[in-house]
Amino acid sequence: MKDGWLQRLRDELVQAWTVTVKDMKVYYLKPGMIMFGFMMPFFMFFSFSVKREMAAAQGVARLLALTSFFTAAAAGPFIIPLERRLGTYDRLVAAPMSLLTLLLGKTAVGALFAIGTSAFALLVGVTAFGASIAQPWLLAAGVILGSFSFSALGLIFGSIPTRNPGDVQMPSTLLRWGLLFISGVFVPLAEMGAVARTLAYLSPLTYAQDLMNHAVLGMGLLNPWLDSGVLLVSGVLFLIPSVLMHRRSRRLGY
Amino acid sequence: MNNAIKVQNLTKYYGDFLAVDHINFEVRQGEVFGFLGPNGAGKTTTQRMLTTLLEPTEGSIIIHGHDLARDAYPVKRRMGLVPEESNVYTELTAWDNLMFTACLYRVGRGERTARARELLETFGLWEKRDIKVQDFSKGMRRRMSIAMAIIHKPALLFLDEPTPGLDAQSARAIRDLIRQLNAEGTTIFLTTHQIEEANQLCDRVAIINHGQIAAINTPERLKQAFQRVQSVEVALEPKKSKTSEVSKTSEVSWAKLSGVTTSVKMGDKWRLYTQDPSALLPQVMDYARSHDLRVVSLNTLGPSLEDVFLEITGQQVGTVQHKTESSKPRRRGMGGRR
Repeated sequence: MKDGWLQRLRDELVQAWTVTVKDMKVYYLKPGMIMFGFMMPFFMFFSFSVKREMAAAQGVARLLALTSFFTAAAAGPFIIPLERRLGTYDRLVAAPMSLLTLLLGKTAVGALFAIGTSAFALLVGVTAFGASIAQPWLLAAGVILGSFSFSALGLIFGSIPTRNPGDVQMPSTLLRWGLLFISGVFVPLAEMGAVARTLAYLSPLTYAQDLMNHAVLGMGLLNPWLDSGVLLVSGVLFLIPSVLMHRRSRRLGY
Repeated sequence: MNNAIKVQNLTKYYGDFLAVDHINFEVRQGEVFGFLGPNGAGKTTTQRMLTTLLEPTEGSIIIHGHDLARDAYPVKRRMGLVPEESNVYTELTAWDNLMFTACLYRVGRGERTARARELLETFGLWEKRDIKVQDFSKGMRRRMSIAMAIIHKPALLFLDEPTPGLDAQSARAIRDLIRQLNAEGTTIFLTTHQIEEANQLCDRVAIINHGQIAAINTPERLKQAFQRVQSVEVALEPKKSKTSEVSKTSEVSWAKLSGVTTSVKMGDKWRLYTQDPSALLPQVMDYARSHDLRVVSLNTLGPSLEDVFLEITGQQVGTVQHKTESSKPRRRGMGGRR
């Protein structure tokens, strides 16, 4: 019995990875992913950072928070409605794997894209602007945890019962932009008023930005363990609405 | 004989719309089971419920002894699905598509390469294994879709409209493959509105109409139950150069003959539906003689599965139809209900 469960667990992990690898091959070079996932965080960064007094390290911390957030959250809303429209999602839903396995595989697609984009941003920051990293391990943890958490957030929108990616892009973009402006990315947490800071604490991006500040600048406002914990827990919690919406999709026939 | 599928009281509502209405049927192990119905009758909804893609509102589905609502995993492992649209990944090569599906169904490493090669060779795609599927024709994509559905050697294969839109050669190749898979022991659930295809392939067919099962039986038994849908098919040509006499022949001309319930023009022929072909034959000959026409061909035909289907689903037998005064109005829609 134990062997049966272990074998099943192993199978599910391999299946999740199979879905991830397939999506990487199929979607990473699609214009939608490049535009919304790769280029958008850089546009955002330059839009709000050019001509502002900012140290290279501060810029790198901000850019890393942006890449892990925007890139990771872009995959789910783009891929799943598109697969539903093409009918390829049925192939995944009909396959012998749990819904959670499928969602984990899809989460990893966005997360790995964000990790890659963040690595590119880091490389540019270090080589072109001479930024240095205070705590590399914390940086790795921040990028990985942030990417998985925000990818799971994007998956919620991908799980909306629709076959039209356009129906999903609008609410997902609204939420992402909203979170961006309340999360201490452009206005440091320490400079916020009480109400704004309370609002900022509701956004997981706040904790990702604070963790990046710890990792790159060597200082942040919150405890890095708290930042990591919030990102981890929010990533798990974000999967719950996705599961519920997938069940609803199954009732509605999407 | 064991049942591969047992459906009880299966029902699906979309909001207030009743798409599938408390249907019951069984599919026997090793048979080709046809699921026929007009557009919007509930075929695809039923098939999506059977393949776990759609949650039923009510009722139960037992596949290979497992209740799909509670224990879908072992069923999914032994099930293959070919949907109406070929849902292959066009950005991947034929080989990568097969490897992906094989991994998803946990086919062993050595076995999956051997099986992929075997399938690609069988489907005539081996030479194109490294080409992205986006460059494939519709027929090739269809074959890929089927290959992906059977790479794990499923015991039960669902096919939704496998041949529409394909050229005759591709359609025949797919029908031959279905026969071959069935001969190897695979139970086939074939959803189609191609009546002749179902007639050629299926051991039994179910006809669904307005979300309800209207009839289930073997094609021949269904035809026997509809002996009243017999016909005489006649092709006429002028004896001399009086082409006008043939062109004057119309449903009104045939309506004058006793026993003709419906007449349908089919190319250069007329098909005259009747309950008594033997009584109609001399009348047709008399008609030809009196109009100076030569009979090119004259055949009596039993009911086709298409006739049965049209009777049951309450549709017209042809585009041009006439009912004679002497014939009783045909009871439509409930003819084949059991």
